[in-house]
Amino acid sequence: MARHTDRSDSASDASGSPETGSRQDAPDGTVRADGGTADAATQEQSVDYLDTRINILSPSTPFMSDHLRVVWATFVAWVIVVWGPFLATVAAPETMTSQLPVIGFPAHYFLIAFVAPTGSLLLAAVYARQRDKLDEKYGIDPTAVVDQDEGGSGEAAATDGGVDQ
Amino acid sequence: MIGSVLLQAEALDISFKPVGAAIVFLMMASFLVIGYLFKVADAEGMWVAGRGIGNIENGMAIGANWMSAASYLGLAGLVALAGFYGLAFIVGWTTGYFILLIFLAAQMRRFGKYTAPDFVGDRFNSDVARAIAAFTTLLIAYVYSVGQASGMGLVGQYVFGLPFEPMVIVMMAITVGYLALSGMLGATKNMAVQYVILIVAFLAGVYVVGFTGDYSTILPQIEYGALIGELNTQFSEPFVNSSPWLWAGTAFSLIVGTCGLPHVLVRFYTVENERTARWSTVSGLFFIMLLYWAAPAMAAFGVDLFEKTQGADAYAATGGMSGPEGDVIVVLAAQFSQLPDWFVGFVAAGAMAAAIATTAGLFITASSAVAHDIYTELINDDATQRQQVLIGRATIIAIGALVTITALDPPALIGELVALAFSLAGIVLFPMFFLGLWWENTNRQGALAGMIVGLALWITATVNSVVVAEPFSPLLQQWVPAIGAALIGTPLVFIVTIAVSLATPEPPEQTKKVVRQCHSPEPMGQQQSAEDVVATDGGHETPADD
Repeated sequence: MARHTDRSDSASDASGSPETGSRQDAPDGTVRADGGTADAATQEQSVDYLDTRINILSPSTPFMSDHLRVVWATFVAWVIVVWGPFLATVAAPETMTSQLPVIGFPAHYFLIAFVAPTGSLLLAAVYARQRDKLDEKYGIDPTAVVDQDEGGSGEAAATDGGVDQ
Repeated sequence: MIGSVLLQAEALDISFKPVGAAIVFLMMASFLVIGYLFKVADAEGMWVAGRGIGNIENGMAIGANWMSAASYLGLAGLVALAGFYGLAFIVGWTTGYFILLIFLAAQMRRFGKYTAPDFVGDRFNSDVARAIAAFTTLLIAYVYSVGQASGMGLVGQYVFGLPFEPMVIVMMAITVGYLALSGMLGATKNMAVQYVILIVAFLAGVYVVGFTGDYSTILPQIEYGALIGELNTQFSEPFVNSSPWLWAGTAFSLIVGTCGLPHVLVRFYTVENERTARWSTVSGLFFIMLLYWAAPAMAAFGVDLFEKTQGADAYAATGGMSGPEGDVIVVLAAQFSQLPDWFVGFVAAGAMAAAIATTAGLFITASSAVAHDIYTELINDDATQRQQVLIGRATIIAIGALVTITALDPPALIGELVALAFSLAGIVLFPMFFLGLWWENTNRQGALAGMIVGLALWITATVNSVVVAEPFSPLLQQWVPAIGAALIGTPLVFIVTIAVSLATPEPPEQTKKVVRQCHSPEPMGQQQSAEDVVATDGGHETPADD
């Protein structure tokens, strides 16, 4: 670990100021302070993403911190939804196997066979939606890119390129 | 759970049924015709279908790839036979998609490599790592396909009335013949069609059986709950068929396996952009859930019908439901309900479609592992596209033959066989993908050490639990059962990979930049990989190779 703590330390500071490596044009923490949409979009232009370290435990760009916040929040919810019923069944089998009203399932069975998978599906949709919002915040249109390196299929590249530009 | 497996489902009505056979024949013929129409000789098209598929179609392809004989037949079989332990398979085979989505899908799309071995080889700058990943891919495809072949052989009997062994051979010959004709572009188009056919067949079975048996009306997925109280307590009582450790290990293995399966990941290379990669994971999970919501209902109906029609307790020590009967419970339930032959044949044909669609995806993955990652990268750098396609096809035939031979005497239930492939993917490949994408200092030495340790652990556990008749180490069997080996194995591989990476030099700057590019929000072109972006960005030297 010792090899790179000098850089990751500054990256993990709680105030959320971006750690953008040693480039001179990197914005300093004050730009980011309000976290506003317009600021994030403009700032996004100036971050050199190829110069910032990737470590899941210490996000080094504002975008990555924002993204990881969504990732960890939904992940914790997922752990509760998926593993909670199992652990509860191990801990308190009597309570968990009691019958649910109306639908007639034993509680543990319903929570594991139905709620856990369905919950994962809903969380997946929540994550994808939040991630789209991040795209908006950072002014990104994933569909707007032309294939620069398309040599062979000129027609496809041309039709692609006409869209969204 | 794993013991000797009979080859016939005694309660199954094994005879030749002309109408059922016609339905199967029409389905197969349509696959072959579509496969023929999309026949491609171009290697690019063969592997990633030109990367231009939208989120609903890709979601259906994910669904078809996913819903193998293990989901269609094996899942209900495990829920029927193993009760609460079967639910570990439901949880494992669905909820893992969420982990795949939040940690890997879009980053993988940005990395932009064709196959899992390509990812490992390029990320860790090592042809040896690439070869180990390719070998793992082959092993996964093999174990997974044995389960499919076994399912095809069992279900084929209802329609064709052949004994198990010839049935396996005929069905596998059809799959291999189909694959030899079409590349992945055809397969992808087919997969959406196959998804629709099999989900309709499966849900029709559940609804009709539920309705005719007075079990359910409009929502069998919920209504079967009331039936559980009437069934033997073995159907729902927790931990009678497995310890909590085995339950957790199985679910965990299947979850991480989902994130490491090469034939699932390859689906993200075929999409337009990252947003499509993300949403096709969501839609793929939804399409998968359509089956997973209904499978335990079918299991409950099947167990109840078994007891009513066979006059025997499904769980009695003698005369209870056998392994093969459990494996075909979906078809049996329809047969017990006195439904017409053509309808039962339709349900059975759906099972075959499920098995063929998945086997197709696996064989394609295996063939590109050999043609692309082993032959072109290691043996013949100047391989022409024609040579690659030929090698790929030869691989399909070879693995098809090997799978057929093994499936003639399957060592476990369908669902268990497939779960073994998941535990392998979860132990060996998932940590490489995860660390490779989320920690830039993961290096070649770390990856090699991690993969070798993982592979050794999985092989040991599998030989111990499955291959030999009596486990040579009961202790290992208890704590590292092959099917749940990832609960120990995956964290172990993470630790080994991280420790070795820390103790050896950091990877080259160029490699780190490729990882960084995977986490940049800046959009990338359809045909672009992270490596392209990095190469054009600063004009740095090419990455070091070993």
